[in-house]
Amino acid sequence: MIAFDIMVVAGPVLIIVADLIIYILMGRMGKRSTGTGNKFQSFTGGEEAAPRGKYGSELFVFAALFMVAETFVLLLSGSFAAPSYFYPLLFLAGGSGVILIVTWWLMIVGGLRPK
Amino acid sequence: MIGTELFEILLFPGLTFFVWIGFIFDWLDRKTQARMQGRRGPIMAGRYGYLQPVADFFKLTSKEEIIPEVADKFVFLFGPPLFFAAPAIGTIFIPVLGAQAIVSNDYDLLFVLFILAFSALMATMLGYAGGGRWAIISIGRLVVQYTGYEIPLVVALVTPALLARSLSISGIVSAQQGMWFIVLAPVSFIVFIISALAELEKPPFDIPSAKTEIVGGWMTEFSGRPLAYIKLTKDLSYAFLSALAVSLFLGGPLGPVLFANPILQTVLYFIYFIVKLFAVGFLIFTIKTALARVKIDQAARLFWMLITPLSLIQLGIVMVLRW
Repeated sequence: MIAFDIMVVAGPVLIIVADLIIYILMGRMGKRSTGTGNKFQSFTGGEEAAPRGKYGSELFVFAALFMVAETFVLLLSGSFAAPSYFYPLLFLAGGSGVILIVTWWLMIVGGLRPK
Repeated sequence: MIGTELFEILLFPGLTFFVWIGFIFDWLDRKTQARMQGRRGPIMAGRYGYLQPVADFFKLTSKEEIIPEVADKFVFLFGPPLFFAAPAIGTIFIPVLGAQAIVSNDYDLLFVLFILAFSALMATMLGYAGGGRWAIISIGRLVVQYTGYEIPLVVALVTPALLARSLSISGIVSAQQGMWFIVLAPVSFIVFIISALAELEKPPFDIPSAKTEIVGGWMTEFSGRPLAYIKLTKDLSYAFLSALAVSLFLGGPLGPVLFANPILQTVLYFIYFIVKLFAVGFLIFTIKTALARVKIDQAARLFWMLITPLSLIQLGIVMVLRW
């Protein structure tokens, strides 16, 4: 089996690349349609649903903070006995970076804005 | 050498192998559910209908993808393969043919924990990107459920790490050569299975995607290829979480050594792994079919008031044992 450290990074990258290639190729099998009109409205099941803006989103703040806190606790718990700083820093940067980007996305689309 | 690495990561015992296990799990799940309900289940595609999940996947990919007017188109289209990537990456850290996984380091358990959290967050993003009303209700439930099950799930996973004094999945498997950790931490195993049901959104915790209440939950707006990928991710997560339970609590692929020949012994390790994997899978199929859906407040109360304290008590006992 593989004992080369670079595979810890290269393995996941390889899977993501293969995954995206297959996904894009499979897109050729079916038809894709965008536009306006009834067909492209969100499904309401015949119910009178409130507009999207009226939903409270404080829950997202809670979830985002929960996840950030959880990730940092995990990383710190794993790094206390590390022989070098490399892996703790790698996971710290990778994990917190992804969460930061996702949180930014939520903020940009208005998911964190109180209504 | 590079060819071998590519083969292991992408085909066997990596991604493709686990995707097939996911398809088989889906079929067995449907068969088990059907038998317990006095039905026959899938019978058309393949012998005993075992190719039904594969047929469903290709049928969905060939269907029209309708992108809602209000959807965030980029996330809506490219979120599903990233959602799939989470459990897919996790599979390469699972030892299948021996104590050593394809890829392993001293902290891969932490990486897997992060993957599990990322998976839940991706589901939230996908639902929000669709822009549907049902998805918003579903996401609210998903987040409440997530905050409930995540702590016990993490504590349940950290317990074997503490017993093995290792944060590497391969290290934890190696430490179970003498005794499986399910014997030393049975409560953690039970907590893990319950939390896995919540992570997978399976009954009794299928609250975020309850069909009879909120249509398809956060998946309502998806169709065609993105929906096929989301369903495939759920199948893969099924296999991945079962494999994680096998690795952390049931000794992974390790078992009695019967052959001096390393190739024959590797085959035997693979058989041990498959038997344990399907035993855990069957346990999950049975529980999910036998139990009815709980309400979100009941789920939150169950996790915060019972499951979390139980997991912490087990962790405390293990800490005392290891001291």
